[in-house]
Formats: sequence, structure tokens, C-alpha cells
Amino acid sequence: MSVLEGRFEPGVVTTSLDLIFNWARRNSPWPVTFGLACCAIEMMATGAARFDMDRFGAGVFRPSPRQSDVMIVAGTVTEKMAPRIKTLYEQMADPKWVIAMGACAISGGPFYWDAYHVVKGVDRVIPVDVYVPGCPPRPEALLFGVMKLQEKISQGTIAKRRSMHD
Amino acid sequence: MIDFACDVWAGLFTILGAMRVTLRHLFSHAVTVQYPTVRRTLPLRSLNRHVLTIDLGSGKLKCTACDACAKVCPTRCIAIVGAGKGKERHPVEFVIDHNLCMYCNLCVEACPFDAITMWTGNFEIGAFNRMGLVFDQTALHAEGFYPTPDTPALVASPAPQPAAAQPGA
Repeated sequence: MSVLEGRFEPGVVTTSLDLIFNWARRNSPWPVTFGLACCAIEMMATGAARFDMDRFGAGVFRPSPRQSDVMIVAGTVTEKMAPRIKTLYEQMADPKWVIAMGACAISGGPFYWDAYHVVKGVDRVIPVDVYVPGCPPRPEALLFGVMKLQEKISQGTIAKRRSMHD
Repeated sequence: MIDFACDVWAGLFTILGAMRVTLRHLFSHAVTVQYPTVRRTLPLRSLNRHVLTIDLGSGKLKCTACDACAKVCPTRCIAIVGAGKGKERHPVEFVIDHNLCMYCNLCVEACPFDAITMWTGNFEIGAFNRMGLVFDQTALHAEGFYPTPDTPALVASPAPQPAAAQPGA
């Protein structure tokens, strides 16, 4: 994921650094202030007092993609919006992750079969790490997705991964 | 001079009033639900992940593979392959694609045999890939009782009961 990832020989140093890097990254995945449709309302509810995404360090919605780590794609990705989403994703600094929230962002959802204007899943535009289904997902489901993402982040390593044939 | 003293008094009084609000919230309970450890009791009729209900006596699925839910589904996310004739008819494959599902409950309302329900209280479905959200018959098979719109106890007394939540996805 990041620039350092998969660069070094595995050893004591890399595992210790992984521990520190992953701890820091896992506990501060700052999302972009970015919502596309009704799922964004549920995302705002998740950030507010009752569910409080700040408990996972993920409640600091940054107004600039340069300062954020996670992009929560909340809502229908239309063909017109897709290039903008791609631009936003490319502007984010490198250890970056994407949560696809809701049926529309995952696969187009209700617009999958008969719509000409919706991208059939945001993963056709940018790589997605965690998929959270729902229409929209309830706030706890998004928190579950954030926890899944934290799981994924803590598996990152700067050491070279062993290939299947070693 | 008198006006100035009145202004100062008004300012102090306003601060006290504001502090009263702060104090009231300081000693009240926090509204935050500590989600992974504490879970809200969801309303009975909240729509969550599907479950194929079983006949509690025999433990078999109630589903007869009549395809009514698949036909009514607006997003066409249900795929059923049935086998057998008459009373013996049962689903061989029952797949719900939760990538597409829009949680509209129409499949539950269309089902003539009360064989599918969304009143499960299980919202914890997230995956690292899209195939992780496609649930087949083994994943949808209920282990125990789940309330459905036709549950007799619910028709008799509409008091909400906590839905049986199952861990994981």
C-alpha cells in the first residue's frame, strides 16, 4: 500500500517498525469529508455523538484529501462523479484505504441492471479495501466496516512478503 | 454608571445560565453507544441480513423454491435452484447477493410460506471482496427461531421481542 511496503528483508527491525507503523495507522484512519448520496447521512450519524467514530480514531473528517487516509465512498457513484472520485483518490497521500459503503457504491445496487448513468461499483474506478453492504448501512455496520479496515491495516508490513513458491 | 453595572450583572447572569446547561450535561448519562461491546436493542421490525427460516420441529427449511421472492426482487439479487415435486420441493441452491440487495423487505412480503425473514438483527456484514457478500444456502440457513411477519406470538401481542442476533457474518 504505502511506498515503504514490501521493500525490506524480513527481520527484527521490520517487525518492530511494523508494530509501530500499524499501531499509528490503525488508530488514526482519518476520512475525507466526502459524501455522495443518502449513505452520507448515515455516515454523518456515525460521526456524531451516539455512535462516535472518534472512538476508533476515524472521526476526524479532513476537508482535504492530502490530509486524509481513508476515503469512505458513501453513495451512488454516477458516471459524471467517477472522474472526480478518481482525482480525489489520487490526491490522497500514500498509505490510503477505501471503504465502499452501501449497495450503490459496492455494485451499483438498485441501479445495477437498468441504469445507464451509474458506475457498477466504485471498484471499477478505484481499488476498494472494505465493502459494507446495506441500503444504507446502519451506523453500527459502518463501524463494523471501520473495524474490518483496522484489521486489514494491522496486517500491513514493510517486509518483503514470501511468495507461494519459497 | 448604573447602566454599566446592569450590563456587568447581565453578563455574569448569562454566564451562569450557560454554565447551568454545561453542568446539567456534565452529570447526565453519555448518549454514546459503545458499539463493539454494547449493542443497541434494535426494533423488532428493523431490516437486516436475510435468514431462511426453518421448521422448528423437523429442522428443515420452509422454503419451497417457488421463486416468488426472486421474481419480486427489484434488484434481482436472489437466485434459486429448486428440486423435487409437490411437497418434496426444496431449494438446492439459494443465493442472495448482498452487493445488490437494497433491504426493501419485498421478498419477505412475497413469500407465501414464511420461509425468509429480515428481522434478524444481524447487520454485521462487511467483507474484503465482493464474493464475501454473496451468501449461499449454508450461510443463510437459520440455526434457531427467527421472528417473521406471520409469527403467531407477534400477531397476538405486538410487544417487541429482542431478535436473536448471531455473531459474525
